[in-house]
Amino acid sequence: MSNILKSTKFDIALVKPYFKTICFTLLLPIVFAAINRSLLTGVSFAMCFIAMTTGYTFSITEKNSMDRLFGILPVRKSELVIGRYVFVLAMGLLSLIISLIVQPLVLKVLGETVGVFDIVTAAIAGIFLFALYTVFQIPGYYKYGSIKGRVFMYIPVAGFLVTLLLLSKMPAIGNLIISVVESSLILLVFLAVFAIVVMYAVSIILSIRIMKKKEM
Amino acid sequence: MTNYLEVTNLSKSFDSFQLHNISFTLPKGYIMGLIGPNGSGKTTTIKLILNMLGRTGGTVKVMGLDNITEEQKVKSELGVVFDANYFSDDWKVSQVEKSISVFYPNWNRQKFADMLRKFHIAPTKKVKELSKGMQMKLMLACAFSYDAKLLILDEPTSGLDPVSRDELLKILSEYIEDGEHSVLFSTHITGDLERAADYITYISYGELFFTGSKDDFVDIFRIVKGGIEELSDDLKNKAAGIRTFPTGFEALMKTEDISGFSNLTVEPATIDEIVVFTSKKGDDYE
Repeated sequence: MSNILKSTKFDIALVKPYFKTICFTLLLPIVFAAINRSLLTGVSFAMCFIAMTTGYTFSITEKNSMDRLFGILPVRKSELVIGRYVFVLAMGLLSLIISLIVQPLVLKVLGETVGVFDIVTAAIAGIFLFALYTVFQIPGYYKYGSIKGRVFMYIPVAGFLVTLLLLSKMPAIGNLIISVVESSLILLVFLAVFAIVVMYAVSIILSIRIMKKKEM
Repeated sequence: MTNYLEVTNLSKSFDSFQLHNISFTLPKGYIMGLIGPNGSGKTTTIKLILNMLGRTGGTVKVMGLDNITEEQKVKSELGVVFDANYFSDDWKVSQVEKSISVFYPNWNRQKFADMLRKFHIAPTKKVKELSKGMQMKLMLACAFSYDAKLLILDEPTSGLDPVSRDELLKILSEYIEDGEHSVLFSTHITGDLERAADYITYISYGELFFTGSKDDFVDIFRIVKGGIEELSDDLKNKAAGIRTFPTGFEALMKTEDISGFSNLTVEPATIDEIVVFTSKKGDDYE
């Protein structure tokens, strides 16, 4: 097993006592999906909520002064960082899969039809939102700790507000974007995957730099 | 003699504290006590050895390997115990093994189980349910389970009751019995050193005061006692530290300087006295 996977396994062990709480986080978005009769809404909320639990590993390590343990393990700092990203991504994917199974079932029970297009768009939106929330949070946690670093969680929210404001000022650009996205699902998937990869790559590089400079 | 630890001119600058040119060597098969008053740089030295802090200068070699360029190899040979637990409070002891063992290819599960039995630690107990002494033993059990060649302990006895301290020192003595392991432990409880240490490195306010065998350290100084009227200027100049009372004085002097004061009472100095006098802290000291 590579050191990255060992670090991921270590993070799973860290969060294991809190799995019930994390699973509970996924229940509320089911209610949102049911009220709005929309898979997109439910999955988007689920992924935003689960992104907020990214701080758990940082809080637990801080609470137990586990930086000292990380300082003595025979693992590179970069491997610890990448291992944590793998853990966060795995959590995100798992939550997405659960949401994409449970929420359509609930909607079907309520008499709604959920098609493949709905599932694909909900999956893309969900994973994109999750990525957007986590890529800012993780470097923030590494740099400022689990309490101060939480501020970084709100950067995407601020970003959304600014984007909405700009689009309302320039409706032509907004319409153009919507028509491009609506014209091709493949293009949408490609753009989303490309953006997610770039965002995570930059975020990982940033976190590794922060960790390497950090004195324990 | 093979050295398990070679620290040469190790330096570190903080805004309000500097560690200057610390050099010492710890041979294989021995225990070294790292002593000094609070804030003297013991933990900084240990963290520099572990590359948890970036050094300003100097080199550190563990079993002949540079602690930065060969960091992973070095750390796989090191066992480290800090003054407080570094495992998750919510983990059970069995979970500690599961989480830590993956990082050490030579982890011996049987040995870990044996150590838990020896230390009377139940695998089903949560870390937060263990006493401080037990948590210390758990950290030691982990280090012993992958046969760490060099054990580094930062203030391991602080906060332990006398029985636990005694047990810990016994464990350390047993650990080096085979001549293949070494221990570096920092402490300000000098009684521990009298019992367990073969070598002493004394750091005082960021400067290396002494490094060498414990016997040499104790032999360097003597305590000179006398009435207040016997406290001459010559004695004051030669003393490493003086403590005065209404009825007399006690001074720490280098053994080579006591020949001129044969009229006074001369006694061997304890490690505690050497540290206290040379630290020159408190109103009663000059």
